[in-house]
Amino acid sequence: MQGAAGAALLAGGSGSAMAQSRAETLRYVTGATINTLDTTMFGATRESFGLSMNVYDRLFTFGRKKVADYWVFDPATIRGELAKSYSISPDSKVITITLRPDATWHDGTPVTAEDVKWSLDRAVSAKSLAGPQFTTGSLTKPEQFKIVDTQTVTVTLDKPDRLALANLCVPYAMMINSRLARKNATAEDPWAQEWMKTNTAASGAYIVESHKPGESTVLRRNDKWLGAADGALANFRRIIIQTVPEPATRANLIERGDADLAIDLAASDLPTLEKSAKSKVVSMPQTNGFTHISMNTQLAPFDNPKVRQAIAAALPYEDMFKAAIFGRGRKLYDGTWSTTPPDASFPQPIPNKTDPALAKKLLGEAGFPNGFSTTFAFTVGQAATAEPLAALVKEALGKAGIQVEIQKKPDAEFNTLASERKMPFFTDGATAWLPYTYYFFYLYFTREQRWNFSSFKSTKMEELTLDARYQTDQAKYDDDCKKMIEIFTAETPLIMLWQPNHDAVMAKSVDGYTYQFYRQADFRDLKRV
Amino acid sequence: MLAGIARRVGRRFLASIPALLGVVIVTFTLMRVLPGDPATFFASGPSAGQAEIEELRRTMGLDKPIPVQLVRYLGEIARGDFGRSMTTGQPVVLDIQRRLPASLELTCTALVIALFLSLPLGIFAALRQGSLVDHAVRMLCTLGVCVPTFVSGLLLIYAFYYLLGWAPDPTARIDIFASAPPDITGFYLIDFALTGDGEGWWAAFRQLLLPAVTMALFVLAPLARMTRASMLAVLGSDFIRTAHAMGLSRPRIIVAYALRNALLPVLTITGIVFSTMLGANVLVEKVFSWPGVASYALDALLASDYAPVQAFVLLMASIFVLVNVTIDVLYGIADPRVSVA
Repeated sequence: MQGAAGAALLAGGSGSAMAQSRAETLRYVTGATINTLDTTMFGATRESFGLSMNVYDRLFTFGRKKVADYWVFDPATIRGELAKSYSISPDSKVITITLRPDATWHDGTPVTAEDVKWSLDRAVSAKSLAGPQFTTGSLTKPEQFKIVDTQTVTVTLDKPDRLALANLCVPYAMMINSRLARKNATAEDPWAQEWMKTNTAASGAYIVESHKPGESTVLRRNDKWLGAADGALANFRRIIIQTVPEPATRANLIERGDADLAIDLAASDLPTLEKSAKSKVVSMPQTNGFTHISMNTQLAPFDNPKVRQAIAAALPYEDMFKAAIFGRGRKLYDGTWSTTPPDASFPQPIPNKTDPALAKKLLGEAGFPNGFSTTFAFTVGQAATAEPLAALVKEALGKAGIQVEIQKKPDAEFNTLASERKMPFFTDGATAWLPYTYYFFYLYFTREQRWNFSSFKSTKMEELTLDARYQTDQAKYDDDCKKMIEIFTAETPLIMLWQPNHDAVMAKSVDGYTYQFYRQADFRDLKRV
Repeated sequence: MLAGIARRVGRRFLASIPALLGVVIVTFTLMRVLPGDPATFFASGPSAGQAEIEELRRTMGLDKPIPVQLVRYLGEIARGDFGRSMTTGQPVVLDIQRRLPASLELTCTALVIALFLSLPLGIFAALRQGSLVDHAVRMLCTLGVCVPTFVSGLLLIYAFYYLLGWAPDPTARIDIFASAPPDITGFYLIDFALTGDGEGWWAAFRQLLLPAVTMALFVLAPLARMTRASMLAVLGSDFIRTAHAMGLSRPRIIVAYALRNALLPVLTITGIVFSTMLGANVLVEKVFSWPGVASYALDALLASDYAPVQAFVLLMASIFVLVNVTIDVLYGIADPRVSVA
């Protein structure tokens, strides 16, 4: 059946076969490039995460829930994907995983516990991006993964880490056909990293049919896939992922009905597409992300908390929200509380308000009654939103006596400066794959590392994150989280602005789009209605 | 005469080697002096730390001093190894092999269109100097050169694809649902013609037309203006007056005597235009999702991805040399005095 449709397509196609196969094909246009089929490789793009999730299975996956009208991933529910079931020991240190007995790899061979063990060993042993991610779940060495029988594997933890299971759901935790991969490994490359950049050894919902980096990647449905929540196959038989660099062209393609899905269009095109007869926009706040203005807490004058609070009081939040993202997002300012947050969730609206008088007063108390001068940086890649934002920051701070010089930097240079902690004052965005309050603070506000944007140092914060990480008592965990939010609010190492919307534009006939933590389209949930 | 040409070509190639070497060294150093560290950029995954950055720097060989890196790089080029692109994950040689024909096909088609339009327009404007035609040509050229290619490209897409629906969707070299021709030369038009696939040829041609016209419009001005100026100079010279006085027919005077003599500066300009087009058509490639070398190099540059940028600059320099030598040979054919000298 599928073969017949494919043949007809190749031959130029008779009308009905062509139309049918077009309806069963999803054409996804994107501005970025899938630069590797092995998403754990250094430099893997976000597009390659998305591809990996559709092609490879993980042991577990997050569920999804409806927020307002739209589907969003749900980190509170974790279900088996390649795993059939799991159990956790009473001391929360041993996870016993049972595999699906009838699961097979794309080449038809059965999935065994040995494959799972090899895949997990590879994640913690090979030099890749998977290792550092797995340490956040206390998964660090091969000895932790044991084969019980052909269908059962155990994962043993030194301490009951609350993120161990969640880490098995992320793109890096892909399960690999070890027999196939090992055949292509070499003495210098025991984990077949070179081979897997351009080849797959997977069991997921889609099979890579052709891959031309920077041009297109074509996927064919795996008709033996078992990993869905309801056990059903993916709806689309074919997926064409095409790189179309110009956002206006992507918008045109969707509006004309020639392409089915795009997720990275210019904000200015969205109102037109919302009104269009052929397309619709699915829009929801990126629940695991935030846009922020960071201040380097180790550099004068921002080492003074009063200066940071003064800046937080001087910013014109409403104007920035409208000018930068056209109000398309969730505000993370104007919180209605003062010292203690109402709940333990994060990011949540922080009680920052525009108050120029307070800003003046705080600057005076900090010893800068006449202000100071500084620079404010952002990347070329984010210029569309950051440029108007920077102009408003400059204007508002100018009124408080602070002279701001705006610096627009190429992405690579910005990353280098951020990593070397050389920028005093800048704006950037961030998304955490695992949106748990403790993880946000651990990732963004502790340790000397790339993602501690403001170089924040606080022993109390370190203690709290450490306690929360291994805390098995939910009430105590919530308490820890609230205290972290309190410290954050009192110290203001960075200023939370908003969670921008994730906008997916698709043909009217496409349904079921889910916002995923890796901010890419999950083709397995999509269908044509 | 042939031996003369061959000797000249050989001399020119030899003379260009130091220049190419210089290009390699300058690009190599420039890339490393520019702010932005590729290791930091590419290790910027979630939860990647300093250890991963150091590891990547080591595997990329960036931990060594620049002179050591340069010597190693020169050795690699000599063996034909141009490194691996981090942006596409492929060896640079493979990427360029696949993308260069796309750029060349687009540029050549655009140049042919531009020459077909600009030569008659320039000649016409010169013959009717100061007339309405002359002004119309001048306006067209000004427009072509003033409107940036991404604006004219987007306008053409908007009109012919979005509004009228005549053009196929402006993505890539062939409709995404159709199959590409077997890879013989890498030029789709030639490959389709060789395999006798008329339908495929037509599809590829339709896909090529809009981007080629966009580029042609941009280079219309230098070609048409140069043709006009050079024709004017020749038409005013003594031997044309003599030809008129001898009673030769007007078409014969214009084509055989005036045009042939006016072509030399046009040839020079064509060579320059071609080289510029090949490197500078990045905007057209971006707007039409054309998988060419220029957009490839730009993406790499923004990501501080050294290997592809260095290879691209060397490629462009080599093509420039090649084009110049070709123009030189054509000179000799247009004006035999050149080869005598």
